[in-house]
Amino acid sequence: MNLSKLPAHWRTIRISFEMQLRQNFSDPFIIFAIIVQPMIIATLALWMLQDQVDQFAIFVIVGSGMTGLWSSLLFISGNAITGERWVGTLEGLVASPTPMPVIVLGKNLANVFQSLSSMLASYALVALLFGLSIEIQQPLLFAVSILFAMLAFVTFGLIMASLFIINPAVQNWQNGLEFPVYILGGFLFPIALLPGWTTPFSYLLAPYWAARALQAASVGAGTFEEMALNWGMMLFFSIIYIITSRSLFLFVLRKARVDATLGMQ
Amino acid sequence: MLKTARMNLRLFYDGAMLSYMALFRWLQPMTYLASMVFAPLTYMLFFVFLGRFATGEDNASFYVIGNSIQMAASSGIYGVTMSITGDRWDGTLPYLFGAPANRLVIFVGRAFMHVINGYISVLLGFFWGITLLGLDLSQTNIGAMALTILVTSISTAGLGLLLGCLSLMTRNVMFVNNTVFFMLLLFSGANIDITTFPAWMQSISYALPLTRAIVAARQIVAGADLSQVANLLGTELLYGAIYIVLGYSLFTWFEKQAKQRGTLEAV
Repeated sequence: MNLSKLPAHWRTIRISFEMQLRQNFSDPFIIFAIIVQPMIIATLALWMLQDQVDQFAIFVIVGSGMTGLWSSLLFISGNAITGERWVGTLEGLVASPTPMPVIVLGKNLANVFQSLSSMLASYALVALLFGLSIEIQQPLLFAVSILFAMLAFVTFGLIMASLFIINPAVQNWQNGLEFPVYILGGFLFPIALLPGWTTPFSYLLAPYWAARALQAASVGAGTFEEMALNWGMMLFFSIIYIITSRSLFLFVLRKARVDATLGMQ
Repeated sequence: MLKTARMNLRLFYDGAMLSYMALFRWLQPMTYLASMVFAPLTYMLFFVFLGRFATGEDNASFYVIGNSIQMAASSGIYGVTMSITGDRWDGTLPYLFGAPANRLVIFVGRAFMHVINGYISVLLGFFWGITLLGLDLSQTNIGAMALTILVTSISTAGLGLLLGCLSLMTRNVMFVNNTVFFMLLLFSGANIDITTFPAWMQSISYALPLTRAIVAARQIVAGADLSQVANLLGTELLYGAIYIVLGYSLFTWFEKQAKQRGTLEAV
């Protein structure tokens, strides 16, 4: 996919976005992953924190929202191509003149956009169940961080979708990949609690930088250096993901045309 | 009489083995490891670290024990439910309802292997707890703990049988399973001291499997012997039996409805 030609495909992206959003809203598994599970995790975390709830409520809201974002990316965006295989529409998509990455991009955008509702759900829960009034201390920095996080997650989704279709064995690890990123991403507790050797793995994950940026902005700790580092890292990883996903998509399409095993798993 | 008993025993064994093999027929060893070993370990690590962050380093064993016992629910809920609902998705439900075989034997047989699986999962949880998280079992009465794990595996499989029957009436089986599993994480006391809950939440906790087993396991690790936790284990087993009876009643009702209406799928 040539990035300069992306604006020419805006209509496809919009339709793909809309279709995916409609499908997601009718899928209870997705509703569970982006609404129910983050709310249960937020409730658990807040109850565990007991008398420190006031202090950490916003941290928990952002962190549980991040769990929804990651689960959505892993289970929904990760299946963006595989899902087409399951319903028998993959061959048609590959044969259409629209580049497949454009379609997947629209789907991933919808998934990430929808999964932002995880944070809203957790916010509503904290406000209603715990009766706390929560404010984001640096809303502008928070909003910009959301945009960078969306970019990082959408592009990461391109990698996962193509990897899962290339090698179903990787997809077999899907369930096992959910919580490690909650842990390494420092979503609900600082990574300083983890053994030191795990820190480089955290640094290699865009979700870690996204969580760090959102948490810093939400508690008012978003200094210029801190936010520049977080945004820079998300941008850096997004570029890497775009370059890598381009190669992966080319591989998928070449393999589909040479092996003719697109519909087989 | 003896012939019937022998036939039912064979039916139980074959049903248990075949449904288990059918459930995992698509799994490679690596996938099995990912689902049954690695994923539960990561759940446990997440909640133990969250607990340490929330309440301090000294409380790690509270979370390790709670989440180790909770691992039985993974097999009990997901495994048993998928075994029951597998008959629907694989198209074998009409044959099952058409067969003259003993329903109770078939029904309970679906859970048997998952009780063993659940037992192994909890043992693995304790293994991770000891090797990675410093769990100290020096005061533990091993026999009492072994019985606690067995009772937990049976009671969670009982809940799984009930959920499995519900799954015959809905397409959203994973939504139901996931929600119940995560609600157990909240209400069972695996991660929260349930005495801090308001009365209505405690009522929910005590109506669920796992809750008493987790309390018993924590007492056993602290040095209690079997007689001190016998009441807890007895009640846990009773609740498991209640869930099995409820599940079986629903299963027979579902079969009756299906035959009367000529619809083997409620939805």
